Amino acid sequence: MPKLEDKDRHMLTKNDLTRYGRQILYTDFGEEGQKKLKQSHVVVAGLGGLGCSASLYLTCTGIGHITLIDCDRVELSNLNRQILHYEEDIGEGKPFSAAQKLAKLNSSIEITPVFKKITECNARGLIEGANLVIDGMDNIETRFILNKACVAEGIPFIHGGVHGLFGEVTTIIPGRTPCLACIFPEIPHRKVSFPVFGVTPALIAILQVTEAIKLLAGFGSLLTGKMLYFNGDTMDFTFHNLVRNRNCKVCGTKEV
Amino acid sequence: MSIKVKLHPILQKLAGGQEVIEVTGHNTGECLEDMESRFPVVKQMVRDNRGQLRRYCSVLVNSKSTYPNELTTPVKDGDQIDIMILVTGG
Repeated sequence: MPKLEDKDRHMLTKNDLTRYGRQILYTDFGEEGQKKLKQSHVVVAGLGGLGCSASLYLTCTGIGHITLIDCDRVELSNLNRQILHYEEDIGEGKPFSAAQKLAKLNSSIEITPVFKKITECNARGLIEGANLVIDGMDNIETRFILNKACVAEGIPFIHGGVHGLFGEVTTIIPGRTPCLACIFPEIPHRKVSFPVFGVTPALIAILQVTEAIKLLAGFGSLLTGKMLYFNGDTMDFTFHNLVRNRNCKVCGTKEV
Repeated sequence: MSIKVKLHPILQKLAGGQEVIEVTGHNTGECLEDMESRFPVVKQMVRDNRGQLRRYCSVLVNSKSTYPNELTTPVKDGDQIDIMILVTGG
């Protein structure tokens, strides 16, 4: 995959202006917004239902560098929702399977697959220097590891979660907004298979990428200090407002 | 005294589709018990066998976490209690 030189990240090429022309037309975004996306590095943590759809749209929209992290291999049971993995990829590491498709979709950006388990020990190193982390995890423990690492590194974290036809999204900006531990101080330890239709993570991931575009380009309002819920049973979108916990074990010492 | 309990969408399904339920009580525990008496299935979802709040649930009062006093935080007329569930799938 071609790597962008630093000088190339600060200008839009003729191809960029053509490829991204329809989104550049959006007044609040424009060429300046596109340049900011080109200069951005986004980490997608987890290449399951959320991560596949999120990385697909991050790639389409022209994020300059995307890192894809997962430690699992593709299984048949993933294919109802993990849209970057095909039957021929069963047994392949998910970051490699996803990176292969994304590189064909957009060869002008840098994609880095990382086939590793995210742990307390390596999380900060894996996200260091990124502008944003997208939560594509399928378990509670790693979500909280990422939440803590993002707070420590001062990197925005866009949380998404799904269950059946329910989904949720919130944008966490360290030092400014509540983090996951403000709301759930005790980490539940459980690993269960959760029900899910492919459409639920697809929708939630697209909302996460919408947040990412606005945050990186600097326009619009964000899902900060509130959790957006999608209820696919009733087709309702609702909110719960969230407030920082000054005694939070993860972000409580950060400036409020 | 009127307190509102706002349910997470997963709990709404267990409460006949209601998002907000009016309850009475002097603290979060009493208010939850009032709500649970009308919707026992919700109780099974949010409490363990010992009656403690399950760790994937969170209770907020006026958007603020009540941890570690989830069931004993005082409430007053007009307050809103949010019951949140961490949705874990991806």
